Amino acid sequence: MKTTLKIQGLSKSFGRIKAVQNLNLSVMPGQVYGILGPNGSGKTTTLGMILEVVTPQNGSFSWFDGMPNIEARKKIGAILETPCFLPYLSATRNLEIVAHIKNTDTKRIDLVLRQLGLFDRKDDKFKTFSLGMKQRLSIGAALLANPPVLILDEPTNGLDPQGIAEVRQLIVDIAKQGKTIIIASHLLDEVQKVCTHFCVLKYGVKIHEGAVSETLGEINKVELKSENMKNLAQLLEKFEGKEKIENGGNTLTMTLKDGYNAMQINEFCFNNGIVLQKLSTHTNSLEKEFLKILKDHD
Amino acid sequence: MIRALKLEWLKVKNYRVFWILISMYLLALLIIASGGGLFLTWLKNQGADFNGIDPTIVPIFDFPDIWQNITYLSSFAKIFIAFIVIISVNNDLTYNTLRQNIIDGISKKEYLASKFMMIVSLAAVSTLFVFLSGLINGLFYSHVWGIDVVFAKTQFLFAYFYEIVVYCSLAFLLSLIIKKSGFVIVALFLYTFMFEPIAVAVFENAPFFRDGIMPTIAQYFPIKSLNNLITIPFGKYIFREIQDYISIKSFLISFGWLLVYILSISYILNKKDLK
Repeated sequence: MKTTLKIQGLSKSFGRIKAVQNLNLSVMPGQVYGILGPNGSGKTTTLGMILEVVTPQNGSFSWFDGMPNIEARKKIGAILETPCFLPYLSATRNLEIVAHIKNTDTKRIDLVLRQLGLFDRKDDKFKTFSLGMKQRLSIGAALLANPPVLILDEPTNGLDPQGIAEVRQLIVDIAKQGKTIIIASHLLDEVQKVCTHFCVLKYGVKIHEGAVSETLGEINKVELKSENMKNLAQLLEKFEGKEKIENGGNTLTMTLKDGYNAMQINEFCFNNGIVLQKLSTHTNSLEKEFLKILKDHD
Repeated sequence: MIRALKLEWLKVKNYRVFWILISMYLLALLIIASGGGLFLTWLKNQGADFNGIDPTIVPIFDFPDIWQNITYLSSFAKIFIAFIVIISVNNDLTYNTLRQNIIDGISKKEYLASKFMMIVSLAAVSTLFVFLSGLINGLFYSHVWGIDVVFAKTQFLFAYFYEIVVYCSLAFLLSLIIKKSGFVIVALFLYTFMFEPIAVAVFENAPFFRDGIMPTIAQYFPIKSLNNLITIPFGKYIFREIQDYISIKSFLISFGWLLVYILSISYILNKKDLK
């Protein structure tokens, strides 16, 4: 198995609105792939097309190097937007339907309900659930067949802070088992916390793609402080990894060239007789990068 | 096919509305099957008079005529089965479970199969119920006996089964086109019992249409062609000639409609974006 998902030239319009335009993507096994974008940027439409509930106008996609789509979907646990269950059935009964479709043993139902903290409510009707419980049940349904691939559309929507933290931990735990996860989200720090790779959509066009660590690691800033700030500034001008120095009053902020890191600065200062009081590296937040990417494409 | 049917069974087996509608339907069938005698008494009380014969001695429960009588009357209750189909399809649309089922791993064809299998099963249950209640009523009231007469003309039971399948397929199609279940129910009810019968009556009897092509065309209408399968049998009790067989022509016309319904459902399901 080489690629989990390959999308080629996928397009879809709703009337005059171009929801997705000529999208190309590849997701490899084991990646946690985030699809980022503002509301209405085509994230859900893209997921809808690869799950065959939205008919694409152009282009193609293939799962697991060309496995038939229906078979592939049985190996994918997916939630799209809101949780979709029959309100008049209990949690267990709703999951029985999912188990039947996925040809899975119903024994896992209790296990999954326990994992998501819904076991006590398993015989209650779905309509009596709170939004957070509904959301958790849909994640449970996605996990039911223990699939190698998960697709999560805004998985923390409607959850309280504790629920958000739990779901994120769950995603990280699942990713550690070597599963492939595709997450659509507009929450940047969610993607930053759990994803390995991401792309950015805007008006249905992919405007950026890359590994999270690369994008965040592009610019490397270090904040420095010592007893004699003047000497420190003079010394740092001689540091060969220096790109730029900004004087922030109490501290100096130095931008480093590629290949240099905080350890080398520390060593350099110490060898030249300056002991640092403060040395902290700044990684960029994905939010800043995201806004920058969006701005670049305006 | 069994797999498709089981999917539907899992959806309805704990659904109270489903069981209420089924009970109402079976109750309606029971009243129709056993209430023939009551109906004749009512006719008598209304002053009806079949050429001097008291309506209550009319042998409506005699084998094998009972099969045509009971299936003709029972076919009016098929709208209850259609309601079940409408509500079940509508649930899958409003609660987005159709979309979720597809995401979880069925094809749109399997979805169609699951609903169609439900329709076939409901039709089979109805037919069995009508058969049993006919048999029981016949055992009590029939003046004639013997395996040959009891099982003669049971083709009406098949026609009854077939009529429900075609009619419910229409209900399935309408539920996909019109998303509000209440609206579909009203539309189907009015069309079945008012719009089309009135139109057909006008085409067949109005002087302007009577001698033209319209009466022939009216036989091709969706409900009319179904009604032509089992026609009103009671004329025979006033010595009028009736159609006491299943018309092959009506069978073929309604089969054409069945194909139209199934193909349209399939087309809509494939075309539709399940947002």
